[in-house]
This record gives sequence, C-alpha cells and structure tokens, in this order.
Amino acid sequence: WEGSWGLYFPQSTYSESIYVGQAAGTPVLQVHAMQERASEQPYFCLYWRRLQKSAPYASWFYIDAVTGVIYMNKTLDWTDFESISSSWFAHAKRLTLKVTAAPMSQKILCAQFPNAEVSLTFFNATAPTCGQMKIEKLCFPDRDINPHIKENRMPGPLRQLRRFTHADLCPNYNISYRVKPESPVPFIVNDSTSELVVTAPLDREEKEVYRLILTCLVQTEKELFTNFTPLHISIYDEDDSPPYVNGTDTEDVLIEFSRNKGAAFGDLFVYDRDTTSTYHKEQSQNKYVWTLLTNDSWIKDTFTIQQNFSEEKPIFGNVRGTVYKYKLRLIRNISVDEKRSFQLDYLVNDTTFRGPEGTVMLHFNVTILPVSISFSNITYFYVLSRKSMTYSQIGEVCVDNCLKFKGIEIAYHLELSDRNISANVQSCYTAVDVARNLEDMSGVLYVNDTEPLRRPECQELQYVLVAHEQHKQLQAKTLVIIIFEGEADPLRTDGQRSLACAEKRQRGECETFSGLGTSTGRCQWRQGTEKVISENYSTCSPDLRTCPDGYCDVIESKNISICPQDCTREPIIGGHERGLMLGIKAGHGTCYCYLEKCFCEQDDMEEAICDDMCKTVIATA
Amino acid sequence: RDELIKGQGRGCLLKEIHLNVTDLGLGYRTKEELIFRYCSGPCYDSETNYDKILNNLTQNKKLDKESPSQTCCRPIAFDDDLSFLDDSLEYHTLKKHSAKKCACV
Repeated sequence: WEGSWGLYFPQSTYSESIYVGQAAGTPVLQVHAMQERASEQPYFCLYWRRLQKSAPYASWFYIDAVTGVIYMNKTLDWTDFESISSSWFAHAKRLTLKVTAAPMSQKILCAQFPNAEVSLTFFNATAPTCGQMKIEKLCFPDRDINPHIKENRMPGPLRQLRRFTHADLCPNYNISYRVKPESPVPFIVNDSTSELVVTAPLDREEKEVYRLILTCLVQTEKELFTNFTPLHISIYDEDDSPPYVNGTDTEDVLIEFSRNKGAAFGDLFVYDRDTTSTYHKEQSQNKYVWTLLTNDSWIKDTFTIQQNFSEEKPIFGNVRGTVYKYKLRLIRNISVDEKRSFQLDYLVNDTTFRGPEGTVMLHFNVTILPVSISFSNITYFYVLSRKSMTYSQIGEVCVDNCLKFKGIEIAYHLELSDRNISANVQSCYTAVDVARNLEDMSGVLYVNDTEPLRRPECQELQYVLVAHEQHKQLQAKTLVIIIFEGEADPLRTDGQRSLACAEKRQRGECETFSGLGTSTGRCQWRQGTEKVISENYSTCSPDLRTCPDGYCDVIESKNISICPQDCTREPIIGGHERGLMLGIKAGHGTCYCYLEKCFCEQDDMEEAICDDMCKTVIATA
Repeated sequence: RDELIKGQGRGCLLKEIHLNVTDLGLGYRTKEELIFRYCSGPCYDSETNYDKILNNLTQNKKLDKESPSQTCCRPIAFDDDLSFLDDSLEYHTLKKHSAKKCACV
C-alpha cells in the first residue's frame, strides 16, 4: 500500500526570532519533511500566505530547496522594520511565511503540496550579544511545539535542534545535544548536523507518545553547562489494522411487544485497533460501512442497522482503538399479526484498510412473534361509593401486556352489555366512562356523571369493555361490573360552587369538602413535615394516590380543578420548584390553588397548635 | 402623566433593605443576598370624595360589618427577576418579588 500519504511536515508551525543587523546569508531555521519512500526526496519552496497582496518582506528570505534551511536574503536594517510596522510603538512584528515540500519529480507544482507555517518574530532591536544570552536561550526555544510522526514511515531526521540565530551569536561555544536514554527509544541526535533523527518505522498500536528528555551541552571557554527540556513526540495513526469480532458474531433478537419505528434490538461489537476521529465525520480515515445481505424487500423496508462507535483504551492494551456497536433498528411499525423468523446477515467493511481481511460478517437471528389482543379471563369488578364525585378514578384496565406495548395503538370504550333494557335504566350508563392513559396503552375508568348515582335503579351497572387495536382492527372484550353502595350525598349541588379540593388551605376544611374527583366524596389532606421546600408539601387533594404525584394524568387533564397541583401551567407564587412541564414539583409549607393560580406558603398555624403543656399553662393562667 | 404623579402621594415612597434570601421566608436554602425594595408611607393626600364617604360610613357604622379597602401605597411596577443558586446547587428564579415604582392606588 504505497503512495497513500507522501511527504509531510512533522510539525505544523516553526517559529524563530530575527533582529535588526542580521546578516544576509545567515541561516534562520531548518524545516524537515518526512518521507514515505527513499525515492521521495523533498523539494522545499517558500511562498507567502496572501499572494494577491505581496508581502513586503517576501524577498528577505530564501530556502535551500534540498536541505530545507531558510536563510536571510538581505541584511536587515532599521528601515526594514519601519517598512512593515504600522505602529510607532511596536516592539516586534510577526512575519508569516509558508513552506511547502514536493517530491523532487514534481517540484514545479511545489506550492500545491502540504505546507507548514513559519512564524518569524522581527524585533525592532539588534541581537543581544553572547554575554547577554542566557544558556537556556542558546539551547531551546522559549515555547516549543511538540512534533508528530506518522506510523509505518521511513526513518530520518525530523527536527533541527540548533537555534541558528542564537547559537551563531556565540561562535566560541560548542553546543551539542543528546537524547537522554531513559529506556531504549528509536530517537538519536545526529552529532554532525544537530538533527533529531527517528531511527526506525514506528507503530502507533504499540506506543502512541514518546516522552523524551533532550539534553543540551554548552561548552564555554571555562565550563560545561547542561540543560534539559522535555519533548513529546506523538505517533499519528493510519488504517493498518483489520476489523475483528471478539466472541460472537451472531445475536438473537426477539421482537414481540416493542414493534415501533425506531426501536433498536441486539448489540454486536466489532473492534478495530485503529483510531477513528469524531471531529471529521466525512474523513475517510478508518471509515466503516455496512451492507445488508438480503433481497427480501419486506426486510429491507423494515430494518436498518444502527452503527455507533466509541474510542476505548483499556481493552486495546492502553492504546486507543475503536469499538463499533451495531443494533438492529425498525424503520417502520410492525403490525401485531406479523410472524416471521429469519437470519439477517450484514457485512461490515473497513473501507480504508488496504489488506485482504477488511470485512466482517455479522448476523442477527430475528424472531418476530405476533401479539394477541385479548383480556385474560377476568371480569373487572368495582364497588363504588355513591358519594363519588365526577372525575373520580375507579380503576385501570389493560389488555394483556398492554404496559409493554410500543408501536401498538389500543383504544378503549364501554358498551352496554344488554341492549334490551328500558330507556330509564339505559340512562344509568352515562355514570362511567373510560379514557386511554397518556403514556401507555392501559385505560382508566372514571365517574363521568354523578346524576345516576342517586337513582336506585342504577345500583349495579354491567358494561362491556372493548379494546380496539387501531391498525389491524382487532378487538377484545371483557365485562366490567360496577356496584354503587352507600348513601348518596343529599346536599350535593354539583356545578353551583367551586369544587376544587386544592382551594382548601387547612386540614379541617379540606376533609369535610366534596371536591371534584373525590372517590369517597371527601377531599384528602396531606400533611408535610418539612420546614423547607419539599416534594411532600401540605395540600388538599381529591385522591392522594393520583394527586399530587407530580404527573398530570389523563383524567386530571380533563378539568383543571381536579388537580391543579399536578396540572397548572401558570407561574406559582411562593417558594417552590416547578415540575418539568406542568405542576408543582416541590413547595414550601402548604400549596393551594384557585383554578390554575397556585400559591405555596408556610402557614402561621404553629401558634394555634397548642400541645398539652401549653393547654395547662393557659388553664392555670 | 400628571394624574399619575398626583396619585403617587407624597408619603408613599420606594424604600430598600439589604436581606439574605433566607429572610424572605420562602423556604429556599441559600447563602445569597438581595436588595429588597418595598412601598411604604401614608396615602391621605391622594384620597378622593369616595374615600371620605367610605370613611364616614364606616365610622357611622352604616356599612354593617364590612370595611372596604382604603387607598394604599402599593408597587405599580416590579424589579427584574432575581435568580440564585441554592445549597443543593439548583437554580431558582423569583419574579415580581421587589418593587420598582410605588403609587397610592
């Protein structure tokens, strides 16, 4: 696999300082291009970033096309600095050049090849003298850029360690560099050229970063100085590892109650020791594609494969690698009567891997079971107080497994069990109705009309509950028997006054009040105990099992007076935490509501609550 | 605008006090603080014949047990919302919690 990348610069930016008085012909810095093959001798050239706006400093520099050393083309003087600086006060000016490297054979096209930036800081001053220079400055740049090397490439020089401008200020010093050998590393310094050299092709899957310590030895007339600096060399990845499966390549998938578009099943994993960038999704590096191997159009129209990948380290021996995860995903709802089983094969292809084993075959063993819409042999039976108010919840009804249904639509309604009854008795049947839950496929029976509750002929009601599957028009039926018992409330005047339990602020008035939605005919009081904002705030509710439970259910949403604590959309006054979309999540003290407007406040009832001790004190007083 | 100024009353003024959020008694647990502004002061000078009549009727006990509200010094505009972080690192926002402008209404 030749010629995929070619020449590249082991660092994207080079920087150096230049000074007034720097002489023509002196070297500034040296760039290196790493080769892939020995025949790929680099040819360097310089160009300026904005070709349309010619940089005035363009002609001050030239590059040796073979060695990559950039030299001064002229001796810099004070007017040169003024010619490029727009500000009187500027102390230094940054000059930006670009250097490119082309294979020798294509040197005419040089400017089109990969480039690196050369950033030169031009100081409005002459260079310091050797005596003014600190030893560290002679050795290493102030701020270093860590280089990188691509794996599987030719060895060769990658960086010039010598700081030409500074080292030349001290011609009598002998400056040399070493790689401090902590453990054997494939890097050495070429003593004759002061270049850092990589001695062998590297493998990223073995080691991603080499942490070197560079030593600089400065031999002056009198003594020997030693300086250290760390250098981290990153190894860049290429797609040189094939995909593989660890363990099974087959996953059993059972599709039964979840049949909705978007549902995902199964988990199959493919591993690749190469990295995959999440930043450039379009980048072809290590890009995986999958193909379904089936001609069955039903399968093609129903299923797709969902591919996700993540970078993992520990499972690849502490070097980054990629784990691809595959799931089987529905792209349309499957009808309840569908029954099939088949093996779905798909091919995963690592498209940028050049070797022979760049693909993996995976399988989903799919079984689709039909779902029957039925009620188990049960009759729903409820005994209800005659004092029940409108919207009180009687109970939940559910076709078998309805809570697990996804992508199956069920509607419920009630019918008369016996049509041969008098009109008078028929009118009893407005008492109860059923509504489909908002979040699942169960139904809720509730009191729809309280007028029949007072009539003796309406004591026992027999309904047929019909569950209706919407897509295939399947039906299931069962019997619902409701018996009313106890005395009706004779004083009741529905609709003549406000009926919201939530208006009541004290236990006494709450528990004697008949609010909307109460199944016993009396509101219920919840006593909070905490002094701060709490989910267990004090409040008055028609039924503490459903309100306030932080969820505005299908019955509560029929009328705001039933449970505004769960259902209000209005701003809440007082210390509180709002529910996610509706209602009060937590409140301070007692929360009460007038229609949708809710208030939470700590009531000053504590003085009124008088314990035995206090009563004694008052009695004796 | 003249009427608004007339209605403000000379004694009805915007005052302010520096408080901890916990002083507000709303049940929040936090160390944050705020400037609370409120309206205070008498409103005699903005009373009308209506107020005088009501006053007379109340004193002469002509209005049974009822005592209708009198002119009082209230905010007619509120400060910007106040947001704070509580001790369990949750944000809360108070709206209409502090006065910006007062008038006798």
